[in-house]
Amino acid sequence: MKKGGLQGYVIRRLLYAILIAWGVATCTFILLRVGPISPADKYLANMSARTADPSQVVAAVEARYGLDKPLYVQYFDWLSNLARGDWGWSFSTSMPVMELIQKHWIYSFQLILLSMLFSAILGILIGIYSAVKPYTKTDYLATFFSFIGISVPNFWLGIMLILVFSVQLGWFKTYYDTGLTLFSLANLKALVLPVITLGTGAMAGYTRYVRSAMLENLRKEFVRTARAKGLPERVVIGKHVFRNAILPIITIIMFDLSGVVFGGAYLTEIIFGIPGLGRISFNAVFASDYPVVITITLIGALIVLLTNLATDIVYTRLDPRIRYD
Amino acid sequence: MDNTILKVKDLKVHFFTRHGVVKAVDGDSFDMRRGESLCLVGESGCGKTTVALSVLRLLDSPPGKIMGGEILYGGDDLLKCPDDRLRQIRGNKIAMIFQDPQSSLNPVFTVGDQIAEQLKLHLKLGHREAMEKSLRLMEQVGIPRAAERINDYPHQFSGGMRQRVMIAAALSCNPEILIADEPTTALDTTVKAQIMDIFRDLKREKNMSILFITHDMGTVAGFADRIVVMYGGRIVETGSALDIFDHPTHPYTRGLLNCLPSVSAIRDRLTPIPGAIPSLINPPKGCVFDPRCECRLPLCATVRPEEVVASGDHTVACHQCAPSVVGEGHKPS
Ligand SMILES: Nc1ncnc2c1ncn2[C@@H]1O[C@H](COP(=O)(O)OP(=O)(O)OP(=O)(O)O)[C@@H](O)[C@H]1O
Ligand SMILES: [Mg+2]
Repeated sequence: MKKGGLQGYVIRRLLYAILIAWGVATCTFILLRVGPISPADKYLANMSARTADPSQVVAAVEARYGLDKPLYVQYFDWLSNLARGDWGWSFSTSMPVMELIQKHWIYSFQLILLSMLFSAILGILIGIYSAVKPYTKTDYLATFFSFIGISVPNFWLGIMLILVFSVQLGWFKTYYDTGLTLFSLANLKALVLPVITLGTGAMAGYTRYVRSAMLENLRKEFVRTARAKGLPERVVIGKHVFRNAILPIITIIMFDLSGVVFGGAYLTEIIFGIPGLGRISFNAVFASDYPVVITITLIGALIVLLTNLATDIVYTRLDPRIRYD
Repeated sequence: MDNTILKVKDLKVHFFTRHGVVKAVDGDSFDMRRGESLCLVGESGCGKTTVALSVLRLLDSPPGKIMGGEILYGGDDLLKCPDDRLRQIRGNKIAMIFQDPQSSLNPVFTVGDQIAEQLKLHLKLGHREAMEKSLRLMEQVGIPRAAERINDYPHQFSGGMRQRVMIAAALSCNPEILIADEPTTALDTTVKAQIMDIFRDLKREKNMSILFITHDMGTVAGFADRIVVMYGGRIVETGSALDIFDHPTHPYTRGLLNCLPSVSAIRDRLTPIPGAIPSLINPPKGCVFDPRCECRLPLCATVRPEEVVASGDHTVACHQCAPSVVGEGHKPS
């Protein structure tokens, strides 16, 4: 592959990503702002208990945040602020959106990262094992559990886990404790149930994909060549077969990161009371705190776009037959 | 004088399929001598590949299973020796080349890596040394601009060049025996000739022992020292190239030779008898070739012919040549 080919491709894809992110931001802005409720009204509901004249408060708030200006002016103001890194003010939490996100992103990040690791590592290992010993008891057992894992909705799984392991057995707290130090064993323990909740479906899916991809590649003739060279079975399977089988799996895992996990993380955070971005945007929606909603939506969109791009790049690195021109 | 390097004794291989047990190799014995090129010839499906794969225990199992016999190499019976002993022999002492170079190379590794792999494994070379040696091997088998191409992937090569890569990889550890299973069948005629030149060089310059498998008598003329003719899972005739080309004795061998040089003619000539191609699931009780034989005897349908010596080294499994029958002559029944 020519280096320039890939570079040009990446630049083109990044430009698309920016364009799409702008589209997403605009759509969210329109959906949230072209409604009957002004953000000021909500703010007002909170303030009115303390102030005598509500209309004064509305005017003050609208003037303060530019909400009295025409919508298109607000839109352009907001867009240029966004570009300058000023993500606005969260009405409902009374702090800059930037600060709010800085405080909370790590909770989502650790949950998603650990779930991805959990599902990818276990899924790949079980999948390989099933493929190497197909049609044995272990393989059937893995098949059985992966079908269950795929079909169980993760919010239901989360609630069941809480009922059994937290309520009945008392092994875990029913609620995520925000007071924990982030990189501690206690924190890791608190994340066990959320990670299982979020990761199980994907893990079960990967098991199936890996199993079938490994079986498919085990039948290929280059496997016979590898054995004829005298390579030990560990290398034949772990290098020659696995490197071919993992190509489609990587795409699936990375697409999952953007799709399933983001959706699932939202629910998981709510079930377990984890103060991550999913939970914050959930609260912000009910508070009509549009700068928060828009920013989190935008971050989500950007991550989806960037992982897709990363997937493509990783794929070219791993599969020499793919070209971008 | 015993310079036998590989001895296959009464090899039996079955495939257990849904339709029944395929007796792909049914009691075959042959010797391979040091420095000779031994050619295994026979129609498609007669069990040639199965024999070759059995030598290094590379059959897919299931469905394939070695039911009996011995394959003696050095002091080992390759069919029974422990796996790690076998792995020291595979690629190092006995190397193999397959029919389809496209699918036999791993698409996600560079050709250099794939050639170097055995050098690192068996000769314990470091990465740089192994790559340097790989480069020399690529030059040896006639890959042009080898230095530029060593980091290319298999799909960037033509069929003939890929087969050269396979050969380079097989030769990397300087094996004692090279098994080549129809290495030219997937290639077009001019490329085929070039690849055959490499094999001729190997034979002439390196004096390598080569087990060469083909369905085409024309390919082996002038290359083979000795020829083993297979039909329906059994060896029907063995002899020096001279014996086979000048005095073909088994009716099947004669059929093969009559049809030279065109391969398709073999089929035209031999297949018109409806239902005649023996099913290896239910082979004929007597001689496998009996249903298609032009000079069968009543005995052929029921009694399996033993191998008999026609002259010196030349053995044939045919009732026509058995001492008890020779008197009756070669009259068609
Ligand atoms: N994996 C398998 N499963 C079932 N039957 C098989 C398998 N491999 C080979 N056979 C059967 O064994 C017999 C011998 O096959 P083999 O591949 O050894 O023949 P061959 O002489 O190499 O033919 P070709 O010239 O087509 O390569 C055939 O009847 C074939 O159908
Ligand atoms: Mg074959």
